[in-house]
Amino acid sequence: MKQLSTHQLITLFASLEGGWDVRLPVRLPDGTRAMGKLSDAPPALLGGPLPSKPTAAFFPQEEQVFMASEGEIRPSPTPERPLLVAGFTARDLECLRFIDRFFATAPRDDLYFRCRETALVAAVTGWCGPAGSFMKMAQGGCDLELVRDQDEWLLLSYTEKGMSVTRGVPHRHDEGRLERLRQLSTTATGADELLLRSAAALLRDDLIPDSFWREIGDRCILCTGCNLVCPTCSCFGIRDWRSAAQTQRSRIWDSCQLEGFMREAGGHNPLGSEALRSRRRIHHKLAADLLRWGEISCFLCGRCDAACPTGIGIVSVMKEMVSRYGKTTTYMTQEGVSTVDRSSRIR
Amino acid sequence: MKRTLTVCPYCGTGCMFYLVSQGGRLVGVEPSSTHPVSRGALCVKGWNAYAFVHHPDRLTTPLIRDHGEFRPATWDEAIATVATALKSVQERHGADSLMFASSAKATNEENYLLMKLARGVFGTNNIDHCARLCHSSTVTGLTEAFGSGAMTNSIACLDDSDLIFVIGSNTTEQHPLIGSRIMNAVRGGARLIVADNRRIRLSRHADLHLRHNNGSDVPLLNAMMQVIIAEGRADRAFMESRTENYPALAATVAQWPPERAAAVTGLTPEEIVAAARLFAGARAAMLVYSMGITQHSHGVDNVRSCANLALLTGNVGRPGAGVNPLRGQNNVQGGCDMGALPEFYSGYQQAADPLVREKFARGWGVSSLPATPGLPLTRAMNAATEGRIKGMFIMGENPLLSDPDQAHALRALESLELLVVQDIFLTETARLAHLVLPAACFAEKEGTFTNTERRVQRVRKAVDPPGEARPDWQILCDLARSAGYKEISYAAPHEIMAEIAALTPLYGGISYDRLEPHGLQWPCTTSDDPGTPILHREHFTRGRGRFIPVEYRPSAELPDEEYPFVLTTGRSYFHWHTGSMTRRTHLLDREERSPFVELNPHDAARMGVREREMTQVTSRRGSILLAARVSDIVPPGVLFIPFHFVEGAANALTNNVLDPESSIPEFKVCAVSIRRVP
Ligand code: SF4
Ligand code: SF4
Ligand code: SF4
Repeated sequence: MKQLSTHQLITLFASLEGGWDVRLPVRLPDGTRAMGKLSDAPPALLGGPLPSKPTAAFFPQEEQVFMASEGEIRPSPTPERPLLVAGFTARDLECLRFIDRFFATAPRDDLYFRCRETALVAAVTGWCGPAGSFMKMAQGGCDLELVRDQDEWLLLSYTEKGMSVTRGVPHRHDEGRLERLRQLSTTATGADELLLRSAAALLRDDLIPDSFWREIGDRCILCTGCNLVCPTCSCFGIRDWRSAAQTQRSRIWDSCQLEGFMREAGGHNPLGSEALRSRRRIHHKLAADLLRWGEISCFLCGRCDAACPTGIGIVSVMKEMVSRYGKTTTYMTQEGVSTVDRSSRIR
Repeated sequence: MKRTLTVCPYCGTGCMFYLVSQGGRLVGVEPSSTHPVSRGALCVKGWNAYAFVHHPDRLTTPLIRDHGEFRPATWDEAIATVATALKSVQERHGADSLMFASSAKATNEENYLLMKLARGVFGTNNIDHCARLCHSSTVTGLTEAFGSGAMTNSIACLDDSDLIFVIGSNTTEQHPLIGSRIMNAVRGGARLIVADNRRIRLSRHADLHLRHNNGSDVPLLNAMMQVIIAEGRADRAFMESRTENYPALAATVAQWPPERAAAVTGLTPEEIVAAARLFAGARAAMLVYSMGITQHSHGVDNVRSCANLALLTGNVGRPGAGVNPLRGQNNVQGGCDMGALPEFYSGYQQAADPLVREKFARGWGVSSLPATPGLPLTRAMNAATEGRIKGMFIMGENPLLSDPDQAHALRALESLELLVVQDIFLTETARLAHLVLPAACFAEKEGTFTNTERRVQRVRKAVDPPGEARPDWQILCDLARSAGYKEISYAAPHEIMAEIAALTPLYGGISYDRLEPHGLQWPCTTSDDPGTPILHREHFTRGRGRFIPVEYRPSAELPDEEYPFVLTTGRSYFHWHTGSMTRRTHLLDREERSPFVELNPHDAARMGVREREMTQVTSRRGSILLAARVSDIVPPGVLFIPFHFVEGAANALTNNVLDPESSIPEFKVCAVSIRRVP
């Protein structure tokens, strides 16, 4: 096992900048954390998930697809150096795995993999969460994991890429320490996963009345934040900018909370109300993706709840769903519970 | 990848976010997690605020009209031509034949400079900006009542309020991050009254939704006050210690029992009584209003009524209360603060006061400053049609779409001898200009904006302007020098702010280093003043709060047989004003592509109009074609049209009748007819 102090770790990152485009959690001037460069702002590895989605490194808000002029089409150039992106939580990595699969499914999305394929993804876990809390270990799903424990970072490489960047770091034996952290990680889950499954089951069984979605829809101010911060949201629109000399095609994040998202050319809209669109947002993650991909596509990263100005991010909505409609059902079956005292389970 | 902390260029809420850029191009936006207003969130316009910046339509070089056509020019030629042309008009027709229109989209520093240019260099008080069209009634009305024409409280006060009274503000659409805060307050237990005859989103969360007739705010508020006094619910202690002129108010509102007001407002007396009791019964009641109050020929009276209600119930000068006009544009508060107004220098120092003029003359190193009262924008447009205004300099405004009665606005602009437009796109107004100067947008320059809660915040440069475009402040400095005012020289906008602070007590303690990270709220008078989240705490700015009783004056043009509908105009959530930025933003444009008219289902059925069918809406001044949106958002007899769309310009219909005191046009009420276009 390799371990470094924070200072040594930052020095390591800095030393990698020749070969990599290194991005890691930094603290911006007003305290906001973001995935940035060491040259722009001081590092901020502590604090848990970043407010913006780390997958934006591969699928940014706006990205040029190609430039066309005089009969010639030029695709966006491939960046000179591969990306090294640190700052994924264990949950972020599940989100990454999910959209990796989405973008890899035929037709494969070349633009996404342009940066993704060569990138080194590093998780930041352990005792580095908000207010010193523990963040579940990833134990795979990335090239490199940085686990914080007692003011030190344990470096775990899972791939050749991961090993290549930590090669110079001396090895030390402390397997017991790692074991404790792994133990902690398995027990650090619970209530919200249960909530997720309960809410998904309520949707699957069609137990949420339309009136509920009308209520939620009434509270949506169409800001699109929930979609834009979600690491498993993959919808984008195409924008062409034409001038006399050239056409620039870009793709831009889209949002299913918007009326125009599903509006047909003739004006008809199968998702013509906020209630339907709010339902879709939740249903897509909890039920539709379960059917299509075999798994729920919300990994509880918490971003949509933080970005929603009116408090209807997915966790809040699930809590309302389960607390209002969960009573008559037997959904929280993991521990064989049939009738549930909701208040004790749902935070 | 670079991130630049800056202020949203759209509404006056003043959210801050980071512009994300790569290789000199903007590629996105990330909210600030710590900003006291936006708190990690943004509305759809904020999330997309980066997206128009590199649009291929951006102006990249000065344009000079030559034989009817624009030709590109160098800056040297353009500046010299503009300066000479303005001088020539000034010499031939007098300084007061010039009009300077400043911009609520530009920074404080730029507004201040244009004000200085108009007064100090060209010698006229004819300087104004689009606050004339949105909150001039507030500036007049609240200054008279309280001594300060700005939001009395802070946005965060919504969290401390136990009753929020929203009148004439579609808050979730026009100030989304304030609207969401109101919704959250309601979920936290605050009561909500919404007075608006459109069924706006907030009304779905209201304890009481008053759908009073357009233009009947004064009877509604007078009757509420009548009930409060009659039922002994007025705050006697507050009135005695903090206010004046109560007997006059009491006498006036006594004439307005709910039954009488009901007849005018279309409400039931019970609704009015319920509203009065809710409001007066609150521990802290916060009154929130916007253009539904101000844009009337009796806009100032509406504002006075709001102030009266708050004074009567002791709801001024404490947390969770206050009279809170939500300022529309990102920097319309700042535009006013900087004295881009005919009657004021920066910090509301009276242009009519010789001592003020003397002070600024000394500060600017000029021999004298003009004493003749200046013209408000709306009256300057009238004066242009009459040949009294000959030259107009417009910075970042598009009056051809934003001013009432488009045919009149066109006549005014076309009759000018000289029209100079400084903007980021070739707007409808710029197309009429003799000279066009390309400006940098918010993402391409340094400066400050002041949001609706008086928070002065830093705007920062993230990318270079396109082509030859330059920040407004640089253009204005060059222009001043070229016009003979050689003393003007600032290395950067912070030096302009230092001058503003030196001459403006309200901003006396403002300097760039003190604005990190999220600004200061004025009044901020000294370098250690922490700013003022709540105004009028111990005493009103003017001493005592003054009751100013008002009588009801109906709107200027009411429906009749020929024009049986009331037209009210406003904005849509996705677009901003004349659409020059938002209609060039992919996602926003996709959401709202073309002009529409909201029409109640009963009226639609009666007229045989169905959803999305083309209709023609006609007033005494013009006629436009647009698609019907059949919706019970509007009550029967009322049509609503947003004013963003040149191809269905709501302002082709509106009535250019002005409030006698604030000169605001009556955008909210005029009479129209509608028919289906076969
Ligand atoms: S918590 Fe919200 S943002 Fe995160 S994965 Fe789930 S839906 Fe997406
Ligand atoms: S973040 Fe909230 S308000 Fe914004 S679109 Fe999503 S659900 Fe609606
Ligand atoms: S609420 Fe206003 S200031 Fe905030 S993001 Fe939206 S438009 Fe910008």
